[in-house]
Amino acid sequence: MKASGSTNWKGPVKFRMPTAENLVPIRLDIQFEGQRYKDAFTWNPSDADNEIAIFARRTVKDLKLPPAFVTQITQSIQSQLADFRAYEGQDMYTGEKIIPIKLDLRVNHTLIKDQFLWDLNNFESDPEEFARTLCKDLGVEDPEVGPAVTFAIREQLYEIAVQSVSSARESRLSKKSRRGSDYGSASKASGLSMDLVKLFSFKSSVVRKRKDLDVYEPMVDLLTNEEVDALEAREERHAR
Amino acid sequence: MATNAPIPGGSGEIPPITPSRPIIPETPSEISASSNSLQPPPSSSDTDRIYIPSYSRWFSWNEINECEVRSLPEFFDSRSSSKNPRVYLYLRNSIIQQYRDEHPQKISFTDVRRTLVGDVVSIRRVFDFLDSWGLINYSSSASAKPLKWDDKEAVASEPPSTVKESAKRICNGCKSVCSVACFASEKYELTLCARCYVRGNYRVGINSSEFKRVELSEESKTGWSEKETLLLLEAVMHYGDDWKKVASHVTGRTEKDCVSQFVKLPFGEQFAKDSDSEDALETFNQIKGSADPESEGRVKDGSSSPDNKRMKLTPLADASNPIMAQAAFLSALAGTKVAEAAARAAVTALSDIDHEAGKNAGGDPNGQEINGNNSERAVAEAKSLLEKEEKEVEGAIREIVEVEMMKIRDRIVHFEKLDLEMERSRKQLEEMKNLLFTDQLNIFFHTRRSRKAEDRAEC
Repeated sequence: MKASGSTNWKGPVKFRMPTAENLVPIRLDIQFEGQRYKDAFTWNPSDADNEIAIFARRTVKDLKLPPAFVTQITQSIQSQLADFRAYEGQDMYTGEKIIPIKLDLRVNHTLIKDQFLWDLNNFESDPEEFARTLCKDLGVEDPEVGPAVTFAIREQLYEIAVQSVSSARESRLSKKSRRGSDYGSASKASGLSMDLVKLFSFKSSVVRKRKDLDVYEPMVDLLTNEEVDALEAREERHAR
Repeated sequence: MATNAPIPGGSGEIPPITPSRPIIPETPSEISASSNSLQPPPSSSDTDRIYIPSYSRWFSWNEINECEVRSLPEFFDSRSSSKNPRVYLYLRNSIIQQYRDEHPQKISFTDVRRTLVGDVVSIRRVFDFLDSWGLINYSSSASAKPLKWDDKEAVASEPPSTVKESAKRICNGCKSVCSVACFASEKYELTLCARCYVRGNYRVGINSSEFKRVELSEESKTGWSEKETLLLLEAVMHYGDDWKKVASHVTGRTEKDCVSQFVKLPFGEQFAKDSDSEDALETFNQIKGSADPESEGRVKDGSSSPDNKRMKLTPLADASNPIMAQAAFLSALAGTKVAEAAARAAVTALSDIDHEAGKNAGGDPNGQEINGNNSERAVAEAKSLLEKEEKEVEGAIREIVEVEMMKIRDRIVHFEKLDLEMERSRKQLEEMKNLLFTDQLNIFFHTRRSRKAEDRAEC
């Protein structure tokens, strides 16, 4: 157990999105003068900063929003990027981390529910490719679903990466241990990741348990207009 | 655990402002990207035919042209693993496909980036690139836009002529063609037809006072000819504010037309302020002129800036030559005969100046002939110089070619020598092999014989 732990332990890695492209998920939700603008997209943090203003202006022009939105959008994007960059300098530990990613989103008329396992250590992972394949395989016609799925995956990965940074900091502060196996147990304790060793040991099989089958199956639903309206009304009520 | 509950922020909602479009995967309409000359396509745009400007003829679905590589190098320099040509093709083709599905409606960047997987800044760059090359959102009124990226290459692309934006104006509110009069707000870049303006069919936050009225009837019907404009000015001078009489003086124009045309004249407003207008304009130009030694350039700037503020619609106020416009205006004021006399005098004065310049340069009191001779001589000299240059260049090229040929010859000779040596060494090798073989045979026989001798000796 110990031997396998030490060979799998990677040294602390500089914080970044654990995907092939280092894209930041940006979520906008601005309310101003009675108009609400909600949006979610991915941003490349290595782009120049003046791109933010250009993008904000373009969006406001395309959506015909009042021009006060420009500054708000710019500020929101900038603050989210600044948060990301603040984490970027720090280390994060990436132990054995296979996490379940859950999708539960409604895009226009399409409802998607899904859960799958994602390897956080795989820095070559590509949520975009996954989303493209998912939509193609499930026959999703609405082209806006793909980016929404990508965004959801990225957001969760981002959060977990952030958590690993903070837990790395904690473990450094609390114990002055140099061994990664200690950290491995700490991450297990947080319950997020699954223990690969246990999963793939000779005792248990790789086949999923029956009760988990439904959870891990993707489900796509097409809603009618009334259902969409009902859901939207409910969400607005929740938001207030 | 943060990921247990539904994703924070609610499910991925799209804001209700953008309408959701159903996308048909296979477009049944017949799309022929017929390349067009720069003449605007027929205004009755069929939904089935898509036009692209002729400088975008290179476009093809499965290939990447080098102007794309040049304009969007980030996808082709393999700096980042995610930006590769395949991704670029995917982005470009999906954007164009989306536009063609929406045709004749234009698509905005936000519509596009919602449906594409990728980071928004790259999508925006591809979108802008396609937009400026007319592969999306191309319509007749858009031909006035100059190409932003490719000013370096003038060979492959023909820069679109800067057509004055006098083509059809489409109302932003109801998306119909504006016919009689429309209201434009430059601040927000909107154009509304009269109905939408009255109904208030524009964005919240814009004041109705932000809009300026733009008359279209005369643009589309007939432009004002110079004669008519002169008549108009005369009439206004005579009759002042009595537009009925003005209209009757300017035959064939209604009162409304006269008023609007007069207001649109570049100096109309100042003209209305009586005689001070002329002086004011001249002093304005003089001030501009004294500020800069190149007074000619400045005069242009000075008189073109008031032009720019108004809609450029009069045939007299040619933007490229405001001096002419000013001269035309002054001549209109002064009357035809006076203008003629003045023009003649100006021409003679100019030619006198030329004379003097020629005299100073040539030093011969023969006047115009000298000028002619000088220019002819200069032309001849230039030609001979040119020929000399060409000959030199040819000679140089010849020499280079000869040198190269000699080099090649030497190399061939060298190779032949090497070849010969190889042959020789091969032959030597063969001989040595033969010798070796004979030696081996000899030894073999000797040993045999010796063994036989031994056997005999033993027995």
